[in-house]
Amino acid sequence: MEILKLIKCCKTMLLLLGISLLSLSAFAQSSEVSGRVVDEKGEPIPGATIKLKSHQGATSTDTKGKFSINLPSPKDTIIVSFVGYNTQEIHLTAKSANIRISLTVNNNNLNEVVVVGYGTQRKRDVTGAISTISEDALAVVPSDNVVDQLKGRLAGVDIVSNSSQPGASDQIRIRGDRSLGASQAQNDAQNQPLIILDGVPFIGGSINDLNPDDISSLDVLKDASATAIYGSRASGGVILITTKRGKAGKPITTYNAYYGISHITSQYPLFNGAEYAAFKAEATAGNTVNPGTTAYGLTTAEQAGLADGTNTNWQNLIFRPGYTTDQLLSVSGGTDDTQYGISAGYHKDQGTVYGQDFERYTLRTTIDHRINSRIRVGLNSLENVTITNGEDLYPLYNTVSLSPLTSPYNTDGSVNLLPLAGSIDASKVNPATITNPNIQDLSRRLNTFNSLYGEVNILDGLKYRANVGLTYGQTQGNTYTPVSNLYNTATATSQTTESVGNTQDYSYLLENLLTYDKTYGKNHLTLTGLYSVEKDHSDGSTFNGVGLPADYIQSYNLNLANSISAANGTYSEKGLISYMARANYSFDDKYLLTATVRRDGSSVLTSGNQFLTYPAFAFGWNADREDFLKDVSWVSNLKVRAGYGVTSNQSVAPYSTLGNLTINAYNFGTNGYNGYLVTSVPANLKFETTDNYNLGIDFGFLHNRLSGSIDVYDQRTNNILQTISLPPSDGAGSTLINAGKTKGKGLEISLSSINVKTASGFTWNTDFNISFYRDAIVALHNGLQSDPGNGWFVGQPFDVIYDYKKIGIWQTAQAAEAAKYGEKPGEIEVEDVNHDGVINASDRQVLGSYQPKFESGLTNRFSYMGIDATFVAFARIGQMVAVPYLGSDSGSSGYPFFNTGRVNQYKVDYWTPTNPTNEFPRPDASGTFPYASTLQYRDGSFIKMRSISLGYTIPSTSLKNSGISSIRIYTTCSNPFIIWSPLTRSGLGIDPEGNGYGGTLTGASGYSTNAIGRAITVGLNDPPTRTFELGVSAKF
Amino acid sequence: MKLFKKISILTISLVSISAVSCKKLLDENPRANITPQFSTTPGGVLGEIVGIYGDMRNLWGTEGFTNITLAGTDEYLAGGSATSSTIPFFTYTNLVGNVTAYNAVSIFAVAYQDINTANGVLQYGPAAFPDAETRTEYLAQAKFLRALYYFYLVQTFGPVPLHTTFISTPTTSDSRASIADVYAQIITDLTQASTELQTIPGETIASTGATSPFAGKAATRATALYLLAKVYLTRGWSSAAQSTDFAMALSTAQSLISNAATYKLGLWQDFASANAPGNEYGEETLFVVDESNSTKYGNYVAGGAGGAYNITNDLFRPNYPTVNANYPATGGANVMTRDIANGRPFIRIRPNPAYVIEQAFADKVNDSRYYKTFQTTWIANTANVTTPRGTLTVGADTAIWMPPYDPGATKRATFKGIILTPPEDSAPNPYTTVFYPSMRKYDDPNRTGVNDPSTRPFILFRYADVYMIAAEAAYKTGDMTTAANMINVIRTRAAYQSTNTAAQNTAAVAAMQITPAQVTLDYILDERSREFYGECQRWYDLVRTQSLIRRTQQYNAEGGPNIQSFEDLRPIPQTEIDLVTTGPAFPQNPGY
Repeated sequence: MEILKLIKCCKTMLLLLGISLLSLSAFAQSSEVSGRVVDEKGEPIPGATIKLKSHQGATSTDTKGKFSINLPSPKDTIIVSFVGYNTQEIHLTAKSANIRISLTVNNNNLNEVVVVGYGTQRKRDVTGAISTISEDALAVVPSDNVVDQLKGRLAGVDIVSNSSQPGASDQIRIRGDRSLGASQAQNDAQNQPLIILDGVPFIGGSINDLNPDDISSLDVLKDASATAIYGSRASGGVILITTKRGKAGKPITTYNAYYGISHITSQYPLFNGAEYAAFKAEATAGNTVNPGTTAYGLTTAEQAGLADGTNTNWQNLIFRPGYTTDQLLSVSGGTDDTQYGISAGYHKDQGTVYGQDFERYTLRTTIDHRINSRIRVGLNSLENVTITNGEDLYPLYNTVSLSPLTSPYNTDGSVNLLPLAGSIDASKVNPATITNPNIQDLSRRLNTFNSLYGEVNILDGLKYRANVGLTYGQTQGNTYTPVSNLYNTATATSQTTESVGNTQDYSYLLENLLTYDKTYGKNHLTLTGLYSVEKDHSDGSTFNGVGLPADYIQSYNLNLANSISAANGTYSEKGLISYMARANYSFDDKYLLTATVRRDGSSVLTSGNQFLTYPAFAFGWNADREDFLKDVSWVSNLKVRAGYGVTSNQSVAPYSTLGNLTINAYNFGTNGYNGYLVTSVPANLKFETTDNYNLGIDFGFLHNRLSGSIDVYDQRTNNILQTISLPPSDGAGSTLINAGKTKGKGLEISLSSINVKTASGFTWNTDFNISFYRDAIVALHNGLQSDPGNGWFVGQPFDVIYDYKKIGIWQTAQAAEAAKYGEKPGEIEVEDVNHDGVINASDRQVLGSYQPKFESGLTNRFSYMGIDATFVAFARIGQMVAVPYLGSDSGSSGYPFFNTGRVNQYKVDYWTPTNPTNEFPRPDASGTFPYASTLQYRDGSFIKMRSISLGYTIPSTSLKNSGISSIRIYTTCSNPFIIWSPLTRSGLGIDPEGNGYGGTLTGASGYSTNAIGRAITVGLNDPPTRTFELGVSAKF
Repeated sequence: MKLFKKISILTISLVSISAVSCKKLLDENPRANITPQFSTTPGGVLGEIVGIYGDMRNLWGTEGFTNITLAGTDEYLAGGSATSSTIPFFTYTNLVGNVTAYNAVSIFAVAYQDINTANGVLQYGPAAFPDAETRTEYLAQAKFLRALYYFYLVQTFGPVPLHTTFISTPTTSDSRASIADVYAQIITDLTQASTELQTIPGETIASTGATSPFAGKAATRATALYLLAKVYLTRGWSSAAQSTDFAMALSTAQSLISNAATYKLGLWQDFASANAPGNEYGEETLFVVDESNSTKYGNYVAGGAGGAYNITNDLFRPNYPTVNANYPATGGANVMTRDIANGRPFIRIRPNPAYVIEQAFADKVNDSRYYKTFQTTWIANTANVTTPRGTLTVGADTAIWMPPYDPGATKRATFKGIILTPPEDSAPNPYTTVFYPSMRKYDDPNRTGVNDPSTRPFILFRYADVYMIAAEAAYKTGDMTTAANMINVIRTRAAYQSTNTAAQNTAAVAAMQITPAQVTLDYILDERSREFYGECQRWYDLVRTQSLIRRTQQYNAEGGPNIQSFEDLRPIPQTEIDLVTTGPAFPQNPGY
């Protein structure tokens, strides 16, 4: 229905546009003028814009810097501009021919255009806190997606790895968290930024749907005075992605490609055969329940292995060299009236673990057409297919836990299918089975993202624009797990598992924008008015089967399964109605004022609370334009910005306010019925709001040899939409409420400098950013001071680690003291905070936070004679991480049997009567590890080299007559090395960056506290990879 | 001007197009969710009763709740693979300071979720049914279920919050009601349910001619009477005792016995039949938590374990597939392979031989129940296995034998398989934490995969318990004759063995009879062990009779030294204490 309505609506709009405009075409006499644009050295500048001052035409230079343009009148002025160069105006007559225009380099980048949302602004007019990164800067770090490329590149934009599998996206936060989301999904929904792709919210899509090569620039709106225009989804900041569009001029063909080989940086260090046997023996000796016994003794095969020195490294069976390949072919160009851009791309990341890879095919089309002097229409259409394999396959635990004393292959060369036969884990299957081609964990996503616009100049300065955004995405998931396999230890083919799942999502957005732009003397005023409606829909279903007659069927005929069941279907629709008005006023380019008001109505809130109106203001002062600074030669640019704004948040799931019954079927004898349990009752919800103050300075000194920005901000969030757990006696487990307050403040510094610039052409540039962020919970709800289960404490940062504090291992000499606490030598000693002689819940304390003290990024670029070298490094310092495999864990990323001697594990320095270490407790075959969770908290600080890139641009002189206008070849090493990390240095981790969430430590003897589910943890997942790429980019 | 006109038309058209259904855009119409309004319809009421029944699967049959009902008593020790988080329930080591350990296994949250749903049924349900008889029968199910949960709550935790109306607005305050109030509510609900419920499961509702959906072994009047008798008995022992409680327990149980025919209840001739696969809906069963091999309704998924699956068929298994041919020396092939008949070894719960073999089941000759409760032989199922004493023939030889006595050196020298014996016999090869007799009451030979959960309904209440309730009530009223008579009914049946001749059975019956003078509390508790071993009652039996501490200390070498006097009440889950944030703090039980 909605789709139909939408199509109808679009048709009507286009029809109206078409009919109204056909009659408006005009004819005029014209003459053609041609010329060439070059730089200071006389090298051609391709892609420079040539615009008639009469606003009647535009073109751009071709690859040789040449252009031609029609002059409608005998005399005119052209404006020649190119990013990074000073704009020139040239007076022309109809007789001008073959003119040569030489552009000079502009060190002052203030005329660059910044995308600010619902329009663009010159950088010098911007009043909000906005960070920008160009396509060239992004391309230095080749990656599957643009978010990953952004790591450490922009101040205040924190990107944290949350998976190590191919095609993984990351967690993004701009200026930290504001809202309290208990679960990972909720935390993300409430705190992650809004992504706007070419003016249209990128809802429902995955960041993986975007080809990074198609992006021309990326702007990040950080403070509320800038984000307020995007209303209730922008409280977490806004990332505006602009894709490449065609420019007038001869067609430019671009070909970019790279190929890379990747290897894991390191395997997990485990006990070797002899160490494993000793470890098992110690676990037997250390059995605290039945001393001297174990249920996990060496099997016959293991004893033989120990005797003959068998030492199998099982990890060798699951890793392989991976590769990355990326290809992009694009053509763009156009005439004065019509510009086009098309591109096709292919990307593949073959993972370093068997069965894991990521592929993406993209097609992009942009058309901008000027129907007449008043009316423009355009289309941007992005189509892509992404294929992800193995994103839910976690082979590591079942591999590393195998005994090094057994062999992967039998003496006859056949696979030793059950290497632990005879032990309690006899059913574990040899990881050599990981290469079975019938294992399926496939997710194939088709996404089409389209934005259309029509723009009408009603009067001089008054412009109406209609934007239509249409997205549709469909994801199909197929899984199949054969038996007698690493992933399925069952042996009967009746126990294979298979599933087929489908989700579709679509959104439409209709925007009506009216802008009025007028200059009166020194006064410049821009007014923007917006009315928009948006609807997001998604639904999905999944069907599971068990048992199949043959492996090759995989998940393609569930009717052949022994039994089929359906998972809960999903359906959600969300509507948003918005009104926005904005005024930008500047006086003499010195004094700038922005005022915004937005009103949002959201369907997910309780009727009556669905609308909220809020304001934002910002002031800017271009101090360098004041007389007293005009003559200060070392100040090239100085601007002061101050802003205040309110944003709101309504990111709760649709139908949250209605209450819910959970489905729970049952049979009375042979009669089956659907059953329902009341698990949540209706909630009364309204908007969450954030007040934000921002003060910033933009500066450029010494002819912009040193430029940068400093921002400080303060933000306070109220009426937080949060899930609170209810007392179990309430019947319903949890409910959503508006409660709680948080505050946050921060400092961001970005610096760019040209350190060296010699006459011979050697340059050395540095970009540096550092950001500090401090947040705290001001209030939870109902006067609650702490919520340990969620890691929330009033006065503390958002995500703290709250547990007992390990102060060592009880040593033999301390046996008597340990006994007072019911413990034995070799067990973990934790701090008795209140010195009451008992360790209980009140001895838990805040041990640290998952948030860094600061983050920083550093990019160095060197160039000389066509050779360029770039080094990108980034750092996150001062955060704690949870490392679940160092505790007793039941998750897929940790050890269910840590230190029991039952299975092999990460090699740790464990206590024995003769090795009185304070690192890890004595192995204990009974599995009694009081306070095991305290072992997992580690300093997660790191400084990493993100990429090193070396390139050579072949001089255009040597490309003459080759048809190629420019060509650059380069090699990049991604993730080359870790500069500093306490975790890796201690040998207890191979990568300080996260690779999963939670890792719930249900723990030994229940002593442990869970690592909160939303926390990114360093688990036992795919090891990080190092990639060497060789690439070429050429223009024709 | 023409141009402007066109443009204004265009603009107005566009604005109005996007304004269409503006209002509607903010309406919410869920399609995949069911909202609480559904409670007011007949389908909603039935569905919510079904939902409560279904939720019981989260307790009965699961590892956590099975441990709660059995571990830390005279009967059980932790199996070798009991998880580190559940071992303290067996040993009581460091259990006190660790209230959070109880959260995952506690009945608390499940009970209150179901009680609130039942309260919703009782509050909104009356309007849903025009037919009075249907209404009465359906609502009585909710009363019964509410009473059942409150009964388990008050026994487990002592004073607990008492809610009898639907909580439609989330609240963060709560307080405990006295156990007297809780018992009073339970007795009110059960008394009403015992006259309002269906007489037999799935009977026809006379007024409409429709068949009651509550078939199988859902609650009936008999179930309500059984539970009522037990509630009176339990309250009689408690601090909220009324002087008439034991008499009421006795008379309620006796009325159930005298009306057994009406309720189609009786005892199987053979004790083994009571828990045999396929007999779950038989005459001796009063109430089950149902399961089946249906994936949708029956909670069955191949290989499923954990969650709400009934895995009682796995929990009591020893690690028989790892007994090797040279045992106790290493090396040699494993003498058995895991199969459906012998089950999936979870190795979680093992019998406490010092009590089970030496005390409760001391008589293994006249009383048939030891061998009907425990599997002591494993018949060879693996080819080419040779022990130092010979090659095992598949299907014929006993590969593992765990007699409850020492068969002697001669037998050991000639027996081809592996023999393990009770540690108390001080013979070679005593039972270990992983090798011990297997409890067979939950065997499920009908599942497809060896690692599948049980598809058998979990039997909560058995008619035999009516006699034992009557016996205990009579004992407490001083009527030892009636007590002995009631126990003798059970013992008479226990003497029967289908392989005996009639004369042998008669002799065994005679040998099994007890006199009124023999009736003591400990005798009753021993008898309950013999009759109900493994049936998820023991902890509650010992707590009711105020014998938990004494008998655990007396018989359980692992838990006895550590159990403390207050541990006959479980701690209130820490989440409840933490989350009551409004009003007075929620108090913890003493000692925790």
